[in-house]
Amino acid sequence: MKQNTFYILAGIIGLLEVGVFWISVRFLIPYLITIVFIVGVLLLYLAWRKIADRQVDERSVLINQKAGMATFMVFWVIFFATSLGGAVIGLGAPPLPHFPRPPDERPVGINESIKPFGDGPGIPNESIRPPDDGLIRLGHFGYLQLALLFLMFFLYVGFRIYFARKYGEWESDEEQD
Amino acid sequence: MKNRIKVFRAMHDLTQDALAHELGVTRQTILAIEKGKYDPSLELAFKIARYFNVSIEEVFSYPGAP
Repeated sequence: MKQNTFYILAGIIGLLEVGVFWISVRFLIPYLITIVFIVGVLLLYLAWRKIADRQVDERSVLINQKAGMATFMVFWVIFFATSLGGAVIGLGAPPLPHFPRPPDERPVGINESIKPFGDGPGIPNESIRPPDDGLIRLGHFGYLQLALLFLMFFLYVGFRIYFARKYGEWESDEEQD
Repeated sequence: MKNRIKVFRAMHDLTQDALAHELGVTRQTILAIEKGKYDPSLELAFKIARYFNVSIEEVFSYPGAP
């Protein structure tokens, strides 16, 4: 197995884990994600052991460095953008001056949205207020961020291919002809 | 940067794979250097020159240099 194949496999497994995580949350099955996560790590470990082109030299190190740095830069921008969105959802967007919101449409902050029912600690109320729209949307943003984390694997592979090509990986070669 | 690795390799009847093995790099690295797609580090350049028992200027040349 080639290294790029391993990274693609890691990305696919990661995305599947995000899907399973969603199912776990949706149907309240905590053991599902726990077991699937461990199985995923084991699968990746087995795949990692099957990597054939693990020989490292200065050119492969350069390709890895360049691909890693390019992925990091893209990742930073995307993750920053999604974090901004997450903060807006979680903390509540301030109303624009020229579009004042009616008082009953005030955005609910995250601290308010997770506050339990009742007036004090002594109240025997085991139920928690169901999450409001803001909190649910924040959770969905979490899924998006998890998915982005694993999509970065594909981006990394793309950059690895780009830089490998730049540094002569698939040049015509008389020894191979 | 230009180089004459292919010439020296032919003179010593060496394949890219064999030279790569001797220098501790991958065959793709030798291929990339020969094609001018990758400039080796100073250390690897010296290793190549030393392997062929010549000076580094005989293997590598910089275009425009006197």
